[in-house]
Amino acid sequence: MSGADPARSELDRRILAWMGEPEAAEDEARFEDLALQLFAHQFARCEPFARFCRARGLTPRDVETWREIPPVPTGAFKEMALRCFPAERECHLFRTSGTSTRRRGELHLDTLALYEASLLPSFERHVLPDLGGPGQRVRMLILASSALEAPDSSLSHMFGLVLERRGDPESGFLVEAGELRTGHLLDGLEQAETSGVAVVLCGTALALVHLLEAMESAERRIALPEGSRVMETGGFKGSSRELPRDTLYQRLHRSLGVPPSRIVNQYGMTELGSQFYDSVLRFPATPRRKLGPPWTRVRIIDPESGDEARDGDIGVVTVLDLANTGSVLSIQTADLGRALGDGFEVIGREPGAEDRGCSIAADEMLQGDAASETRERGDHHLP
Amino acid sequence: MSGTSPQEIRAALQRLRGAGHRLRRRPARETLDALGSVLESWREPDSPVRRALRTEYADAAGFSPAMVEAGMARALAEWTEDALRSLLDRELGGIEALEGSAPRNASGFEVTSVLLAGSLPSPTLLGLLAPLLLRSPVLAKTSAHDPVTAGLVADSVAAADPELGACIEMTRFTGSDRECVEALLGADCVVASGSDQTIASIAARVQPPRRLVSYGHRLSVAAVAADRPVDSAVRLAEDIALWDQLGCLSPLAVFLTDRDRGGAPAFAAELAKALADLEERWPRGPISPRASAAIKRERDEAEMRAASGAPVHLHRGAGSSWTVVAEADSRIRPAPLHRFVRVHPVAGVAGLVEALTPVKHHLASVGVGGFGDRRREMTGALSQLGVSRICSLGTMQAPPLSWCHDGRGVLLPLARLSDVDGAVFEL
Repeated sequence: MSGADPARSELDRRILAWMGEPEAAEDEARFEDLALQLFAHQFARCEPFARFCRARGLTPRDVETWREIPPVPTGAFKEMALRCFPAERECHLFRTSGTSTRRRGELHLDTLALYEASLLPSFERHVLPDLGGPGQRVRMLILASSALEAPDSSLSHMFGLVLERRGDPESGFLVEAGELRTGHLLDGLEQAETSGVAVVLCGTALALVHLLEAMESAERRIALPEGSRVMETGGFKGSSRELPRDTLYQRLHRSLGVPPSRIVNQYGMTELGSQFYDSVLRFPATPRRKLGPPWTRVRIIDPESGDEARDGDIGVVTVLDLANTGSVLSIQTADLGRALGDGFEVIGREPGAEDRGCSIAADEMLQGDAASETRERGDHHLP
Repeated sequence: MSGTSPQEIRAALQRLRGAGHRLRRRPARETLDALGSVLESWREPDSPVRRALRTEYADAAGFSPAMVEAGMARALAEWTEDALRSLLDRELGGIEALEGSAPRNASGFEVTSVLLAGSLPSPTLLGLLAPLLLRSPVLAKTSAHDPVTAGLVADSVAAADPELGACIEMTRFTGSDRECVEALLGADCVVASGSDQTIASIAARVQPPRRLVSYGHRLSVAAVAADRPVDSAVRLAEDIALWDQLGCLSPLAVFLTDRDRGGAPAFAAELAKALADLEERWPRGPISPRASAAIKRERDEAEMRAASGAPVHLHRGAGSSWTVVAEADSRIRPAPLHRFVRVHPVAGVAGLVEALTPVKHHLASVGVGGFGDRRREMTGALSQLGVSRICSLGTMQAPPLSWCHDGRGVLLPLARLSDVDGAVFEL
């Protein structure tokens, strides 16, 4: 727990209580109250955030609804420490992925309690809705590094917690020293096929492409048992293996026998304490869209006007996440999206889309991957 | 326009080989005269081609007509038949080299294919005329972002000289159509523009004896010293606003060595005023939500840096129309384009070189203002970095026809050279 700051402790306590409710439900009044209090708290304790808000003429006195809380761009996490607690209280640091030439975003935490309390119910609701309640163990094969190898990766931390709480003894991480343990993984998948044990295959999209390439080059196909599913996350970050999501899903279907209706994309980022998931397993009869836990809100912002985009129009995905008590609760992502009923969809960039001009954005030259910042987490560095 | 099937592309290449054979039987001077007429028609503000650029092209490429007109007037002002002749003199030693009567002769390839990218007309115009000047017929794949200009070039060539007009054809297909790409790459010489990834992909498929002439994406910047002319900000704003900053000659950042006249914040304010004025005269064209989002993100990040105490100043037009950020340091940051420019402080020429070193392999042009007695030091340092054009502010979008694009020349990369020993003529 965050401890020393009584106001913060009280906020954490109330938000954790919500997260801990067995069937935590939407509650607009509760969200509004907590969001405004958390905003006031962060405004008082995070000077850069306060100045950013004041420059827009917005202080806790002016802000009447959570919709007015100014979102901070994710890029700011590369430039400064956005924390609402003394540096000496920091207990954990998550960092976005990066290279030697690229600055990495940093999320400073004085507690992991909210992060962990938020991720579990969301994962269970959207990835394991039909696989029993808490305590029931399932086979999870994780195509990512463990937190031991990647201590600053929020994704590895998340998978570690999910494995600890819900994984059976055969579950585990299948990336070691940056390499996918293809043989081990294929053995695990074939064992599941033979034994009829449903598998939850989780990993980055890039790691899944590596698996598919290994299977396709060996002309191997596996029919995973009914009930199996895939949870994929992350973009391709300019990798030569970039491919449209539909194509990835078709190839997963062909090689593993998991149909697209059982493949869930998780949308998350280092800067957020909560994650969003495709609705397909939880609400299979309705269109695929991304849903988050009740302590989050997503707004799609028209980048030209700065106002909320009209329903169905493309805009910038901004997230308000009460799990972010120690940093800033309102985040402007680098992604485009569109509202879709009670959720939203993320609009990816077409692979290979040509730029209009012959000039090159400076970041593309420096990093080679600025065109698509779908998601950044300190993980997945497969070749 | 040739069809979009691989068979049709191969048939077009075959037709062009025949047309090229006929063209090469004519004196090279006739081709030069015809291309001079083409340039004349493009320079004439009321010509059909300029009207089409202001209307069809502006609409298709997403630019305002006023900006297109201003950009074309500036770009073409010095593109004359004399300039073509000077280009021949400078790179090949004169037109005699094309007639086979020079100590060093030059000839174009039997057929050249040109894969156009981007959306600016003048690179397309020169890219298609250069092989023709060498009497190499051209098959051009139009750019997805500019379906108009290549056709206008072909029409104006045909109007000036029907036989030369038979030496230029267009084709259109998506870059992902591998079979069509393969067919187009069957030309003896292939000219390609695009991203590093695109160029690498083509390079793997065009092997000797066929020749690949590639132009990667580039960027340009400006460097301004305290002794700059008083109208520097206005002139630089024009360089930024023309082609909505999408050309490889468009400055994305300004490096200011000025310590006496208010530094980056003062110059940024001047530049902001000039860009606001230009938005009235040459409005920026519409942009995609992705481009608009990138501008919003970079603006917001600049505001966050300012909020953290850094001396960063943001100036912005309505919507996403233009943006100037006075930065606190010389670090090159993402450039969302579409009239978004950063002003960085640097410590003299050494600081400028240090700031540009991370992007030196991609630098095309540097516009300069001031530098007085340090000008030689500055041009020497920039040349050493590999900058292929150093020019005054306000002229960045008007390179001479003979600009050594990417430091390699215009005609030389497209030519085959043949030296004739003097003794041969004495036999």
